[in-house]
Amino acid sequence: MSHLETLTYQDENMHVVQRCREGDNRAQYELYKLYAKAMFNVSMRITNDYAEAEDVLQEAFISAFKNIHAYKGEASFGSWLKKIVVNAAINSIRKRKAELVPIEDRMAETVADEVYEDETEWQVEKVRRAIQKLPDGYRVVLSLYLLEGFDHAEIAEILGVTESTSKSQYCRARKKLLEILHEPAFAAYEV
Amino acid sequence: MEDKLKGFVNEHRDEFDVFEPRQELWQEICQEIPPLRKEVKVISFNYGERLKFSADFMFMRIAAAALLLLGCGLTFLAAKKSSSGSDGAMAVATATEAPALNTIAPEMIEVEAYYTSQINSKKSQLSNYDVKVLGLDEQQSIDRELMRLDSTYGQLKKQLYTTPNKDLVIDAMIQNLQIRIEVLNRQLEVLQKIERLQQNETTDTKHDETATIL
Repeated sequence: MSHLETLTYQDENMHVVQRCREGDNRAQYELYKLYAKAMFNVSMRITNDYAEAEDVLQEAFISAFKNIHAYKGEASFGSWLKKIVVNAAINSIRKRKAELVPIEDRMAETVADEVYEDETEWQVEKVRRAIQKLPDGYRVVLSLYLLEGFDHAEIAEILGVTESTSKSQYCRARKKLLEILHEPAFAAYEV
Repeated sequence: MEDKLKGFVNEHRDEFDVFEPRQELWQEICQEIPPLRKEVKVISFNYGERLKFSADFMFMRIAAAALLLLGCGLTFLAAKKSSSGSDGAMAVATATEAPALNTIAPEMIEVEAYYTSQINSKKSQLSNYDVKVLGLDEQQSIDRELMRLDSTYGQLKKQLYTTPNKDLVIDAMIQNLQIRIEVLNRQLEVLQKIERLQQNETTDTKHDETATIL
């Protein structure tokens, strides 16, 4: 029964992926067009730098097409590709000696215990800009959790830390984000 | 504990993707993907047919190359004219923010939709042919040309917002779409011809005698 289920499960891109395995340029371009924007934004959120994000995107797509035989279809192609992008982006910012986790208590000090939280005031563009203002270590964990849909166990594996570190880092990042949103200059910023 | 921030982000997830990579990035990527060399089946024709075919095929290649050159030339011309503004008929005020395509060139939306559907149907017809089996290596270079046309098109579309001479850019955009269809048509013709020849291959020997008489 379970065997039957795995057989009937098909990724929507299965045929295009198969053509990529055969080295079909057109199929590669189709996949690129389909995923380039989403993956570029993943890369942007982690690197926070346009040129670096493009280098990462390029590296990730090349590596994905070279290793497409390693993709066995156990997850959707999009999530397989996203893992590659995330890893490439993290390697890239590690090269610039970014301290990813943990940003210890020296940062925690600046974070107030109680942060005023009013979701009716949130606007996408403001939240997005506030995330960009976070330090690398906070921005990465917060983005992976909030926007890329990874849970703390997965983030722990990606960053090579413990699950509880990922959780506490996220909590601090979240507080810091709300703080930035309430900075007078930032709150006054009209989108 | 309920995470309201997480809920907010989930609700507006798509709006967070605001960045786009440069159009040209694909060119850089596809040049670094190592081409997969598979064994190419050789199609054997009898002598008379092969000579005729290769001559014809050479013609197709030249025709395709000429079309591409024409396309590049027109694009270049359009870019040059619009930047010098020699026609200078219309001075379209450049707004501070780029207006959507439907306000600046509403007619292009229909044109684009029409050609896109044409191009897609040609492409799907083409994908019915197994180019590897048919022994065509040219497919890759044709794909590259199509991609190049696609990225030129993207650049033209951007120019449309700032150009003083909209019509010129629109003409170039339409030319660009037409060239793509032309390239795909030629490729289809070539593939159809090869297919016909392959189908006849087995019966050819019988027809050989009559062919020489004719």
